[in-house]
Amino acid sequence: MAKDQQPLLEINGLNIGFDTNRGQLRPVRDVSYSIFPGQTLAVVGESGCGKSVTALSILRLIPSPPGRVLGGEIRFEQRNLLGLTEKEMRSVRGKDIAMIFQEPMTSLNPVYTIGDQIVEAITLHQGVSTRQAYKIAEQALADVGIADPAKRIAAYPHQMSGGMRQRVMIAMALSCQPKLLIADEPTTALDVTIQAQILELLRKLQHETGMAILLITHDLGVVAENADTVAVMYASRVVEFATVEDLFDKPLHPYTEGLFRSVPKLGEEQHSRLQTIPGNVPNPANFPSGCKFHTRCPKARELAASMPADQLVKITFGEEQVNVPRVCVQQEPTLRAVEPNHWAACHFAENYATAPVTTPQSNHRREVTSELAPGRAAGSAVAQ
Amino acid sequence: MSINPAIPAPDQTSTPLEPIEMPNRITGWRLVVRGRLNKICLAIVGIYFLVGLLSLLPAPSQIGLGNVPGFKSIKSFDQLIDYKYDPDQPYAPPALSYKDSQGIRHYSPAMWFGLDFSGHSVFWQVLYGARTALLITVLTSVLMLSIGTSLGMIAGYFGGWIDDIITWVYSVIGTIPWLLLVIAMTYILSSNESLKEPPTHAPGPVAAFFKNILPTDLLIVIFALGLTDWVSLCRLIRGETLKLRDSDMVAAGRALGLSELRIIFRHILPNVSHLIIITFTLSAVGYLQVEVVLSFLQLGVSSKPSWGHMIDDAKLTLLRGVWWEVTAATGAIFIICMALTLLGDSLRDALDPKLRGRD
Repeated sequence: MAKDQQPLLEINGLNIGFDTNRGQLRPVRDVSYSIFPGQTLAVVGESGCGKSVTALSILRLIPSPPGRVLGGEIRFEQRNLLGLTEKEMRSVRGKDIAMIFQEPMTSLNPVYTIGDQIVEAITLHQGVSTRQAYKIAEQALADVGIADPAKRIAAYPHQMSGGMRQRVMIAMALSCQPKLLIADEPTTALDVTIQAQILELLRKLQHETGMAILLITHDLGVVAENADTVAVMYASRVVEFATVEDLFDKPLHPYTEGLFRSVPKLGEEQHSRLQTIPGNVPNPANFPSGCKFHTRCPKARELAASMPADQLVKITFGEEQVNVPRVCVQQEPTLRAVEPNHWAACHFAENYATAPVTTPQSNHRREVTSELAPGRAAGSAVAQ
Repeated sequence: MSINPAIPAPDQTSTPLEPIEMPNRITGWRLVVRGRLNKICLAIVGIYFLVGLLSLLPAPSQIGLGNVPGFKSIKSFDQLIDYKYDPDQPYAPPALSYKDSQGIRHYSPAMWFGLDFSGHSVFWQVLYGARTALLITVLTSVLMLSIGTSLGMIAGYFGGWIDDIITWVYSVIGTIPWLLLVIAMTYILSSNESLKEPPTHAPGPVAAFFKNILPTDLLIVIFALGLTDWVSLCRLIRGETLKLRDSDMVAAGRALGLSELRIIFRHILPNVSHLIIITFTLSAVGYLQVEVVLSFLQLGVSSKPSWGHMIDDAKLTLLRGVWWEVTAATGAIFIICMALTLLGDSLRDALDPKLRGRD
C-alpha cells in the first residue's frame, strides 16, 4: 500500500441523534475512523454502543425521522456522502458500498427466487441484459461456494439453510463488485462451523477482489482472525483505535482490557471464574458525565488509591461508594495518539503515569474532526 | 494453504443433486383446484365469464358477415334483448317454443324463462345480466383494489404525516354506514350534469364504447361502490406494510440501492398479494348484491338489463303470478354468489399458511 494512498472511507466527527419522546438520544458521538482499500476494519463493542448505527449512516439508511445526522462528514473516495442527493446515494448503495446483514433468514424476499433477487441488483447497477445478469448471478453463486448454482438459482429462500442464505446475501452484495462491504455481524445468527466458513469466504473474496470490509462484530476471536485495524466503541464513542497487533498486544483503554479479560481461554485453570466488566452498559438516554466508562472502570479506582484527595470524587459503584479521579468524572477524554498508530480515549492511557493535558471542553469536537484521522495514520502504519 | 471447507476441490466428484421439488407459486392454486366442489365452482364462474364476454360480440350482420349462410340468422345480444317475441301476450310463461306473427313455431331458448311485461325474453336478459354484473364486479374491484392497495402501502411505508392523513381519511369514511355512503355517492354522481351524457366530444369508437358497453349509469354504480369500499383493504394493507417496512428484507433492498417505489411495488406488493386476492373474492359477491339493492332503490343500472333491474321490474307483477322473471334473476345471482363465496373461502384457506393443513 502506497504511503500517500487516500482512505477509501473516512468518517470524521460523526454525530447522530434520535429524536424521541423523552428528548434526543445521541447513539453516535464524535465517531471517526477510516478504511483503506483492501483493508478490514473491525468495529467492536457491546450492543447499543452505536456501531451498527454508524454503519447504517454510511449508507444513509438511518430511519429519518427519528434519526438525524447532527454533524460530521462521511467521505467515500473524497466525496461527502452526507451531501449527496437521494438519487446519487442510490447509485452508491449496492454499487460502491454493499451491506450484508445479521439475519440471513429474513433478509431475502420470500416470494422471489434467489436468482431473481441477485439479478435485480445486477441489472440495476450494471446495465446488462437480463440474460447476462443471470450468467453473472450464477457465477456469483459459484464464487460464494454454493453447489450446483445453475439449479440453485431457481430456488426460493425457504429452500435454503441459514448459511446458504448468508452466502446468497454475500453473492448479492458482491455481484456489483463494491469497493466497500459493510458486514453487520454477518455470522451472529449462524452456528460456529458455518461462521468459520462464512468468514473464510469473506477473506477469500476480499483477497480476490481487493475490496475493503467494515466488519461489525462483538466477537474478539473474529476480530483477531480477520481484521487489519480495530475500532473499539463504548457508549457512542470510539475509545480505542489501533492495528490489530497493537491492540491485542497492549490494549490502552481499560474497557478494551476488560473485553479481553472477559473472553474465556483454553488452558485456563479449571473452575476459575470468568472475569467480567462490572456493571451495565449505560443507557443512551442517561449517559454519565465525563468519561462514559468511569462508572465501571477498574483502573480509575486503582489510580485513585495513589492520588491526593483533592483530585478525587466519590461515586456510587453498585452498593459501595468509591473514589475515582475527578478528571474522569468531569472531563470527556479525547481520542488521541498515545503511541504511534495507537489511539485511545483515556486520561490515563500513558501507563497511568502523567495527568492529562487539560483542554477546554468546548473545543473538544473541533479538535476531533480536524486533527484526528486515526485511519489515515493507521493505514500507513500497516503499509510500513 | 488454507482449505475452504465450503468449496469442494475440483477433482472431487460431487454427487448430482436431486431435482429440487418446487413447492412454488402455484401451490395455492393447486389446493384450490383439488376439491371437486371447487372445480364445480370454478366452472360456474368460468361459464359466467364466458357468457359475459360472448355478449360483447356484435352480430355477424354488423361486421359484414350478414350474407354468410350459417351466420345470417344469428343476432347480437343487444338485438336479442330488444326483440319482442309476442307483443300480444306480454307475460308468456316459460315454454320450449314460440309462434311468430305468421303462426310459425320456433324452438328457441328465448322462451325457456318466459317473457317479461313488454314481451322481451327473460332468458336473454338473464344472460345479458351476467355481462352487467361482471362489468360491475371486475371494474369496481379493480378500482377498489388499486385505491386500497396503493394508499395502504403508501401510508404504511412512508408513515409520518402521510400516514396520518390517509388514516384520517379512511377512518372518517369507515364511520359512515357503507350502504348509506354508496347511495349518497350515487346521488351525487348522477346529479352531475356532465356525467349524464356519454362524452360527445370523444371520437366515434370511444363514444360508442361508452354508450354500448359502459353506459353512464353503470359507471356511476362502479364509482359509487369503488370509491367507498377500499377502507377495510387499505387498513389491512397498511398494517401488513408497516410490518414489512421494518423487515431486514426491505433494509437489504435499500442497501442495494433500490428506489422506494421499486421496493413498494416489487417487494412489498407481492408480499401482501394474498390479502388482495382474498379481499377480491369476498367483496365481489358483495358488489353483485349491492347492485341489486341499488336497482331496487331506482339507483342502479337501468339502460341495460341487469339482474337487479329485472328483480325491480318483476316485484310488481309477482302478485299476478308472474314468478319466472324474479326467479330467473335471483337464481342467476344465487349461483354466482355461492360459487364465488366457496371459491373465496378455499382460496383463503390455500393462501393463508396458518390455515393450511386444517379442515
